[in-house]
Amino acid sequence: MNAVRFSPVRTWLIAGNTLREAARQRFFQFLLLLAFALTLGARWLRDFNFGAPELKFLADCGFGAMAFLGAALTIAATAQLFFSEVENRTALTLLAKPVWRAEFVLGKLLGVAALSAVFCALLTGLLSLTLAWREAELARMLPDAAAPGVGVSHAMVALGGLMQWLRLLVLAAFTLLVATFAQSQLFSVVTGFLILVVCHLQHLAQDAYARAGSAAGLIASGFISSVFPDFQVFQIADSLSAADLPVAGDVVRVTLYAFGYAAVAVGLAVVSFRRREI
Amino acid sequence: MKDFAVGLRGLRLRAVDHVSLAVRPGEVFGLLGPNGSGKSTTIKLLLGLLEPTAGECTIFGVPSGKVEARRDVGYLPEAPNFYRFLTGRELVMFYGRMCGLAGAALRERVDEMIALVGLAGAADRRVGTYSKGMLQRIGLAQALVHDPRLLILDEPTAGVDPVGSAEMAELILALKARGKTVLITSHLLGQIEELCDRVAILDRGRLVAEGRVADLAGAQGRLSFETDALPPEEIAALRAWLESRGRKLEAVVPARRRLEEVFRAHVGRGPRDTGGGR
Repeated sequence: MNAVRFSPVRTWLIAGNTLREAARQRFFQFLLLLAFALTLGARWLRDFNFGAPELKFLADCGFGAMAFLGAALTIAATAQLFFSEVENRTALTLLAKPVWRAEFVLGKLLGVAALSAVFCALLTGLLSLTLAWREAELARMLPDAAAPGVGVSHAMVALGGLMQWLRLLVLAAFTLLVATFAQSQLFSVVTGFLILVVCHLQHLAQDAYARAGSAAGLIASGFISSVFPDFQVFQIADSLSAADLPVAGDVVRVTLYAFGYAAVAVGLAVVSFRRREI
Repeated sequence: MKDFAVGLRGLRLRAVDHVSLAVRPGEVFGLLGPNGSGKSTTIKLLLGLLEPTAGECTIFGVPSGKVEARRDVGYLPEAPNFYRFLTGRELVMFYGRMCGLAGAALRERVDEMIALVGLAGAADRRVGTYSKGMLQRIGLAQALVHDPRLLILDEPTAGVDPVGSAEMAELILALKARGKTVLITSHLLGQIEELCDRVAILDRGRLVAEGRVADLAGAQGRLSFETDALPPEEIAALRAWLESRGRKLEAVVPARRRLEEVFRAHVGRGPRDTGGGR
């Protein structure tokens, strides 16, 4: 009997259904609308601006909405879409076909990654339009203040959107890993948020332990930093100026860092899911 | 044999206990038993969705844990649930693609299966609007789309009205006529008796009876007659005649139509593929 090989087509079909199911959910639509509202409404939140230039403040609000709401969306969607397949028993019918469990897990990840990509792309486009519109408005109001060649770099905004997506990709892979062995969706969601916090704050812990000279603390934080990715590495597009565009090598390095962590997490998820009883 | 862990103290529940069965090619085999007797667990073991604690399952000689074993199997789970946002046609297409079908062959096969299960008129409606009976039928179409040699049907008539149930029985007989092997579980023993060549009865995970339906439920040295209505004096004469030969007339019961026959006569058996929507 011929062997059934791993099939990218089947994986893609599972990813497609995952994306379609996710995009129909009210939760996704609500978070997208909320992120749109925050990005568009940032100029009326200037009371919360403590000294940053206005365009930088607008960009920070847009990327903040993308980061916070994108993380909520990614964690919830990953856990929900995985558990809905198992609990509604659609996975039962699917895995009774000649389908590898690795295809199922990878398909789920790709579906959520596509959802996050749509979310980031739409918000990045909207942020770019908002910045361009406000920049033109400011140039009209203050023609003398506008210096040629120092406007908003839309390449930088796009790079910022890409970095947000890479961060969400890694988060989705880790949440999926948890979902493959968790017994409840709630556990996966809560653990996903804990992972997000660890990934964001681990550099602070390392700095603190280094300053205090605590050997035990440094060993513990070193272990955590080798297991969990450091989300600070994705902050390479923290400016709106074309002059601050990182070199291509840095972008490639960060991209490989994200894909490497996602690949390890999804590999572990496949191993864990292979033994799961459906 | 299959044990499940129960609780945290290492307790184990034996769901399937030393069951040894063989289903022969081309037969309809019934797996019977009360709720919790291990029928669904046995089916999941066969499909490789669960791993046996001890022992082995093979499908056409291939260990059921291998993906290759599922290439020739179609499976309709109990109370199936599918992607609600797909139409019936898209759903069967999806499963066909998962089984490696593509292009014109896939489209032809999908049309053929949808017609076979009598859903041609509802094929372009979303699965979310289907009634329970329609879900069972589209489930059967997805199970058959890749032309498997073995069909596993777990409670295919659960929750389906008598007309739908009779139609499902006709479909199963038609599949048998095409040379398919069918493994079926059902609580409708009358239907099982009509459909199956052989049955096995499970109780608390153990195999308590197995054999041909004709042998298990066949003649027991007794006869029953059905005649036109007789006046009391003729019944008395018949009783006396039997007694004169050392026999006994044990029961005289007026023949009644079965309620199912009455139901089917009134509800009719026309095309039903657009009815019953939710």
